[in-house]
Amino acid sequence: MSKATDAAETDPQGERAVLRTDGVTKRFGGLTAVDDVDVEVQNGEIVGLIGPNGAGKSTLFNCITGTLNADEGRVYLQGQDVTDWPEYKIARAGLGRMFQETRIFGDMTVRKNLLLAAQEGGASVGNLLRRPDDSLLARTEELLDYVDLGGLADTRAGRLSFGQQKLIEFAMELMAEPDLLLMDEPAGGINPAMLENLIQYIRTANEDEEATIFLIEHNMDFVMEIADRIYVLAHGERIAEGTPEEIQNDQRVLDAYLGRE
Amino acid sequence: MSAESESNSGLLRSLVPPDQVDRLFGVCGAHGWKLLAASAVVGALPPLLGLQQGYYMTVISEMFLFAILALSWDIVGGQTGYPSFGNMAFFGIGAYTTAILIKDFAISFPVAMVVAGLVAVAFAAVIGAVVLRLRGHYFAIATLGVLLAAQQISRNLDITGGASGKILLEVPSGTVFYYLFLGVLVVEMGVVYYLSNTRFGFILNAIRDDEEKATAMGFNTTYYKTAAWMLASLFTGVAGGAYSLFNTFIDPQTAYNGAWNVELIAMALLGGSGTVAGPVIGAFGLHTVIEVVETAFVGWQLVLLGIVVIVTVIGFPEGAVGTLREYASEMEYYKRGGMAATDSGEEVSADE
Repeated sequence: MSKATDAAETDPQGERAVLRTDGVTKRFGGLTAVDDVDVEVQNGEIVGLIGPNGAGKSTLFNCITGTLNADEGRVYLQGQDVTDWPEYKIARAGLGRMFQETRIFGDMTVRKNLLLAAQEGGASVGNLLRRPDDSLLARTEELLDYVDLGGLADTRAGRLSFGQQKLIEFAMELMAEPDLLLMDEPAGGINPAMLENLIQYIRTANEDEEATIFLIEHNMDFVMEIADRIYVLAHGERIAEGTPEEIQNDQRVLDAYLGRE
Repeated sequence: MSAESESNSGLLRSLVPPDQVDRLFGVCGAHGWKLLAASAVVGALPPLLGLQQGYYMTVISEMFLFAILALSWDIVGGQTGYPSFGNMAFFGIGAYTTAILIKDFAISFPVAMVVAGLVAVAFAAVIGAVVLRLRGHYFAIATLGVLLAAQQISRNLDITGGASGKILLEVPSGTVFYYLFLGVLVVEMGVVYYLSNTRFGFILNAIRDDEEKATAMGFNTTYYKTAAWMLASLFTGVAGGAYSLFNTFIDPQTAYNGAWNVELIAMALLGGSGTVAGPVIGAFGLHTVIEVVETAFVGWQLVLLGIVVIVTVIGFPEGAVGTLREYASEMEYYKRGGMAATDSGEEVSADE
């Protein structure tokens, strides 16, 4: 019996995909927001997820993170079936998430935001009652310098501009070092100069730290430039998958964006 | 907070330079334990220097008591962002526990007080499992419901003495309570101060600022909220346990006092919720003012309380400590962050 349970909890395909969804479906009343979607993200990849408004991109993300429960299908993280896990447990298993509207802890200092993101030690009582050690503090300063916000460690995070907050949120993910980072429209609402910066940071994290990233994006130039592979959703269904070049020349994708059936 | 400081910022800045305030915060932060120890010593002095049992000793003891209660409220209300209108339920349960144990079971006072704290914690664990699922207004109303229900139950039980309550005649002297409340307060300040610099404290603040984000970062928020709630109930329960003897009398109205619950919140907000010193300063300040007004114009202290709450919420939502900290960090931001913000765009083009 327990053996059968074990088997069910691991990815039947047994591959080393960081993330794999198998026929994920989510309905809201009569609307099927996500319809039988398979995606797969391999270690070290940057994968894009695009589609017109209402295509189900954020809903798919929510099913992966456990914010929503998929009605059908399975979600595998590092080969483990996490479909029915609570959201915090999935996050702890190595899934990071940056929200569409930047979300950091506004009444805490920038430093505390970053310290909080550090995952080492887990939820043991000893770890919870310890003060942050020097190496962690040093890492915080290092990351703040890296995203050009050195000297702001003691500032209340809510005082920072939107773009700065986005960088802090990204630095928090660098601190957490998740196995997979989901980014919901990282380029949304930031100025072109900062976007260039962000692209650089994401590239560096991907190349140097082997960060694996799955991102939703509306900014086509940005996603075509940064992604290794792209999935396209329309009306909840996966209509295309391929390299940026393939996607740009895909007739179904063009139709979906131009509203043709 | 900012409208006030901006309108007369020129005068204010020259009188109290933000960087001086910032330095003061730095000193306080660096020497927190020494400050706490010094405060404990200062607090312990008056009876040694001749303060006799009587009106003033009672008033100061009450100040300590309210500081304990306000700081406990703030662990959940200010640090974790769950404003409770039911903290006095823990207080009442603690008060009745000692009253019953001492009167009906002849248990000694210190033991009864410890048990009072533990009973309050057990109660908090059970109630917390239900009410901590709610947020914002719903949480506030549910906790108020818990307080009223607890009051009603004690009014209808025999063991609690029903509506007439319990009278305790053999009680320790006022000096004992003075040091008892002071001791509990100092311990609690130490605990909260220590926790506010640990990962546990950060997580509580994160839940306050954005609980969904905290969950998305891998924190089981229910677990941490319940822990904070139980910690708050421990100190509140112990304080209640001591209060029934301090007051020599306990009935449903005094034990589960909804007006006190509002006072606690006002104290925490006035002093600065989410800080260690804030609720304590707020409790000392507000209790003194209330005591003075009550002596001079009986009944008007409640009007004053209402006015203080309104002015605080509108004018200084961060409270005294929070407003000062904001004022100090403002300069910090303009000096470093403001420039970093304008610079970053140029630095990018320079990199290209």
